[in-house]
Amino acid sequence: MKVDIQSLGTFNRLAHEGAEQATRSMCQMTGLDAAVDVTKITLVDRADVGEQLAGGEFVGVQFGFEGELAGDTVLVFDRRGSETIAEALVPGGADDGGMARSSVAEIGNIMMSGFIDGWADYLEASIEHTPPTYVEGTGREILPAGPESTDTESGDADSGLDQVFVFKSEIEWLDESVSFYIYMLPEYDPLAGVIGRHADSEDDAIPVDKLQVFNEMTYDGTQRAAENVEMMTGIETEAEVTQLSFAPIEDVPKQVGTDTYVGTVVEFTGVPSGFLLVLFDEASAVHIAEAMMPVEMDADEFTDQHESAIEELGNIMTSGFVDGWANVLQTTVDHTPPRLVHDMGRAIVDPLAAQVGQHQEHAFIIDSEMRTDDIAFGAEIHALPNEKELREALDELLVERADQTEADVEQIF
Amino acid sequence: MKVYDGSTAEGASTGEPDRVKVGIAEYRVASGEAVLTTSGLGSCLGVALHDAETETAGLVHAMLPSKDEMESDNDAKFADSGIRELVRELERSGADRARMEAKIAGGSDMLDFSENGSGIGVRNVEVGRRTLEEFDIPVVGEDVGGDHGRSLRLEAHSGTLVVKSANHGSLRL
Repeated sequence: MKVDIQSLGTFNRLAHEGAEQATRSMCQMTGLDAAVDVTKITLVDRADVGEQLAGGEFVGVQFGFEGELAGDTVLVFDRRGSETIAEALVPGGADDGGMARSSVAEIGNIMMSGFIDGWADYLEASIEHTPPTYVEGTGREILPAGPESTDTESGDADSGLDQVFVFKSEIEWLDESVSFYIYMLPEYDPLAGVIGRHADSEDDAIPVDKLQVFNEMTYDGTQRAAENVEMMTGIETEAEVTQLSFAPIEDVPKQVGTDTYVGTVVEFTGVPSGFLLVLFDEASAVHIAEAMMPVEMDADEFTDQHESAIEELGNIMTSGFVDGWANVLQTTVDHTPPRLVHDMGRAIVDPLAAQVGQHQEHAFIIDSEMRTDDIAFGAEIHALPNEKELREALDELLVERADQTEADVEQIF
Repeated sequence: MKVYDGSTAEGASTGEPDRVKVGIAEYRVASGEAVLTTSGLGSCLGVALHDAETETAGLVHAMLPSKDEMESDNDAKFADSGIRELVRELERSGADRARMEAKIAGGSDMLDFSENGSGIGVRNVEVGRRTLEEFDIPVVGEDVGGDHGRSLRLEAHSGTLVVKSANHGSLRL
């Protein structure tokens, strides 16, 4: 299957409108105020679907659908969100378990019918959905297992890839700082068929197996960056989640939280060109910087020494990451010296999105995270490539080359 | 477009003013006790308009300078078309452009990698000012440029714009 940029854009808008329709139905019924925050299409490792839900307790409503598109879709509320819903429908309803469940099921039913009907209208085809099932669980357990396989043509058994497309919308209550989510996991073959029929031309199409390989190579790049962190700090660090998302350019800054972050930004040149960010939340930045310092420091605030440690770390993480790419693409990817940033997360990403946004309406965003159990530490790497150049780079990419991203530390230093 | 007046049941019961969030490439209009907020302006420009007589205010969070430079169907994404739309929307809810005053914030130079010409932040501010001049709306307060991000909070009744930044405290305009 090939995906073209036009149809990804259309599908993104469709998922967004579906989510808005669903949210409107809910607002009408409950009098609550909510707005769709982000909608994105993500290609991600099956094991990482719903990673954002982490260990929270969730309830929701799940449907199967079939027809022009097939798969599963689920509406997920955290406990507090479901209580708000139940209370809005029937005052006192949140205290009654059975009542709360039926409120969620009722709202879910109405919301999700709107969501699926929106798709059917656009595709001018019928999509049937099963009756809603009430579901509850911890973290990503609440999500359906997902479709069988991402790409029957390329043969998953050989490539070892198990990645799925996820359409995800995040909806935020305006009065409570609580979010809820709509996940849609379409089966691969019908999705491929629909995308194929809605493609304008073959010109800007990217074969999906290349996108998958690109994801793998990003994972390897992150792993390499993590090894660099480990070498410098002695803290054992693992690459965690890697995903490739597609979203309207104005949603790009929302990939990062509103809290303050510290990190580095570089512009990389070559094919593709773009921006690469290495970001630490403030607490992580202090921990990791102190782990790198020769003398014990126990500063309450972020000092110049902390900053230079982060700058150095950002630099070697960037090199590790970019080398991973360059290896697979067999090109040179140069980058500017890192610029240190210490600011509101979204304000950091916003100028980069604007620069990319001068030439394109949608963007691919590459996100990966690394974590460690030793100390409270988390780092995010985000890359924002020029879309047209990314397509060119993928055109040149030979799929077999992905196995050459094995980290080779000696090559870096 | 929904107009928020701060009088919904939830707002009244908690005693908190209604908070209306304005996302990137969006604009919103509110009146009475409501408060408009937007976060994480880097090179983006926030333009706050206020009509003191009707206690109506509007806020747009624009990402790029001019709609003429590219194809897009979202007016609020650009400083010029975003301001024009916001003025119209305010007038639809009873405000008058002759009474409107503007406050602008954002348009930072942070992380501007462009090598020639002025950066997006600078151009956002320029185009924003020029568009406000078209309507003869005076700019009565501003906090623009620099190399840091900002978050905004606009009170609909007073038109007070509070500008917060991560490392530079907050400022009332």
